[in-house]
Amino acid sequence: MNQIPLSHILFVSTALFFIGMYGLFTRRNMITMLMAVELILNSVNINFIAFNKYLYPEKLEGVFFSLFIIAIAAAEAAVAIAIIINLYRNLHSIDVEAADEMKF
Amino acid sequence: MWTGIMVPLRQELMVTLILFLLLFIKVGASEYRTGTILRLVNILLLANLVLGFFPCPDATLFNGMFHTGRLIVLEKNILNLGTLIVSLLAYDWLKEHRQALEFYMLLLATLTGFFFMISSGNLLMFYLGLELSTIPLTALSGFDLEKKQSSEAALKFIISSAFSSALLLFGISLLYGATGSLGFDAIPRRLDGSAFQLFAFILLLSGFAFKISVVPFHLWTADVYEGSPVAVTAYLSVISKGAVFFIFIQALYTVFRPLAGNWNRMLILLSVLTMLTGNLFALRQNNLKRLLAFSSITQSGFILAGITGSSRAGDASVIYFILIYIFSNLGAFGVVSLISAQTGRENIDDYKGLYAANPLLSWVMAISLFSLAGIPPTAGFFGKFFLLMAGAGRGNYVFIGIAALNMVIALYYYLRVIKAIFMDSQPQPIGKLKIPLLPNIAFGLCVAGILVTGVMGWVYDYIYSLSIGF
Amino acid sequence: MGTTQLLFWFLSILAILGAILVVTSKNPVHSVLWLIVVFVAISGHYILLDAQFLAIVNLIVYAGAIMVLFLFVFMLMNLNADTEPQKNRWLKIAGVVTGGALLLVLVAALKKADLKAQMAEMGKGDIGLIHNLGLVLFKDYVVPFEISSVLFLSAMVGVVVIGKKAEEDKTTLGSQKYGG
Repeated sequence: MNQIPLSHILFVSTALFFIGMYGLFTRRNMITMLMAVELILNSVNINFIAFNKYLYPEKLEGVFFSLFIIAIAAAEAAVAIAIIINLYRNLHSIDVEAADEMKF
Repeated sequence: MWTGIMVPLRQELMVTLILFLLLFIKVGASEYRTGTILRLVNILLLANLVLGFFPCPDATLFNGMFHTGRLIVLEKNILNLGTLIVSLLAYDWLKEHRQALEFYMLLLATLTGFFFMISSGNLLMFYLGLELSTIPLTALSGFDLEKKQSSEAALKFIISSAFSSALLLFGISLLYGATGSLGFDAIPRRLDGSAFQLFAFILLLSGFAFKISVVPFHLWTADVYEGSPVAVTAYLSVISKGAVFFIFIQALYTVFRPLAGNWNRMLILLSVLTMLTGNLFALRQNNLKRLLAFSSITQSGFILAGITGSSRAGDASVIYFILIYIFSNLGAFGVVSLISAQTGRENIDDYKGLYAANPLLSWVMAISLFSLAGIPPTAGFFGKFFLLMAGAGRGNYVFIGIAALNMVIALYYYLRVIKAIFMDSQPQPIGKLKIPLLPNIAFGLCVAGILVTGVMGWVYDYIYSLSIGF
Repeated sequence: MGTTQLLFWFLSILAILGAILVVTSKNPVHSVLWLIVVFVAISGHYILLDAQFLAIVNLIVYAGAIMVLFLFVFMLMNLNADTEPQKNRWLKIAGVVTGGALLLVLVAALKKADLKAQMAEMGKGDIGLIHNLGLVLFKDYVVPFEISSVLFLSAMVGVVVIGKKAEEDKTTLGSQKYGG
């Protein structure tokens, strides 16, 4: 009896997605916002792998998609960190509300 | 066997080759002169543009991951042309920049990304192409390293694009769950319009909407456009937007054709919202870059109006409009870029009395703005006309009426700039500016494109003969 | 309830709790540490779903590289002070309400899609092993693989350009002395 319905796994991934969304909108620390994005990306990965395993196990498309997501997330995080460091040199803060040079 | 791969992939390979050449120059050469390199790169870009015009067979490579045809080659040629103009215009700014080579490396990486994105036959390739273009673009928008505004723009850009990619990916993952495939040819067969698939589609649509700055997702646009270096803003507003529109329309017309009834209504709503919001905010801007940013949001609304036609005319008018939009928007941004590089002034008030000392720049600006506004002798008029005709093909006359009304509102703020240039005066007008050769060529290209493309009917007919629709 | 179920429930609760703590804890360093817990839990899920290679990659790349990078930046810039996490209460409430509504829509859509009845044997498969993945990766997925190499190159160039300190003869010192 080691079976788990697909809906349980999808629930976990959906919950992670919305927690990530919530974090992205409410946090002010730039690096924490990045972490929220990583949470969302991980929920996407769980989705892909679960669909691959449960519904379409004959091909490996889902697994490969998540592999590439992980790779690109790393590149994106690196560039984002560089931008944040550069901004920190200019502003001495990583609070998004400090980045308000341009307004309507 | 190799020609079977090399010929369809020639544009991507050429761009990547230039990229690596620059990398080797940067790493290997201890001493080089920036001016020489800039001229070399421009010649290579020209060669790349010419290479694209050689005939290319329709091909599907790598298990359907990459496909190309005459329409796609045409789209790539349009992007190549735009990149060449951007590069010519940026000459003045890059000459003084210490990292001109890196600028081109990042620029060409984004171009490769766009090419692979347009040619993708698979959601994985689409996503990779999109990211290959977005990640270097965010770095480019932070390229004025000492300026606070530039790094702020880069930050806003990367956070919003990471968020939009995440939405897009969640949509793709649900779509994969619903259809069991990532290939563009297999997905439509499994689409039946269930609630689950619609939800996935809406997430995908919001991801796209971010990239083309359609209204509920447009908030990053103005700040990023204002803060980035002008050359990057120009690139963002035409090349990046044009490429995403190309793949967007392809996805809607082929992959999501079974859901056409649903997306048609969504796009009409988004289009009206986008045009109105873009116009209302553009009315109150004083910085010319911000004004052009909001005007580009408005133009996205018009392009969406053309897409709702869902016909061959819809596809053709969008591609035709983007071609004209490249000429007109780059003309306007070119003038802003030149003046900003030499005097550092970007507000509309600074442009008062520009005509007295710089008649050439003033005329380029005026013609570009007329074309953006859609005033008859210029090509912009024909572009808008075809877009609205395509949109009217489905009988939504109220919607097309609103779009036409928006053209009138837009006229007001374009004329405001023209009035400042030609009629107003100020105590310290901008003095006589030197226009180097390369930007001069770019201005010539833009003005010629604006004046000639509209008159030559065969351009539209040619695009129409290649278009897709249903 | 078998071992697999027990493990599944344990990992799920760990992941969700960890995620909530990531977005609510005031100290950014705590956020990073909780995020590592989430990644470990998710890697556990991957192993249950027979994606063993991905589980290891997830640990190495996310927990090993990205999180260390984040921690490094926090420590380097001395940013481990508490920050007020929320902007204002109304925004928070609005976020929870819209997020909850979306969640409901998604759950309803999922229920309709007849996916919930799907079952699969857990821990009984070798599709995720490195041998099978490698064969497919270098046959069917060569082009995406090459594209991602160009992507890494361009990301590297971008990071070097942006992250590098401005040369001292170019600008006056002042803001640079805070940099990492």
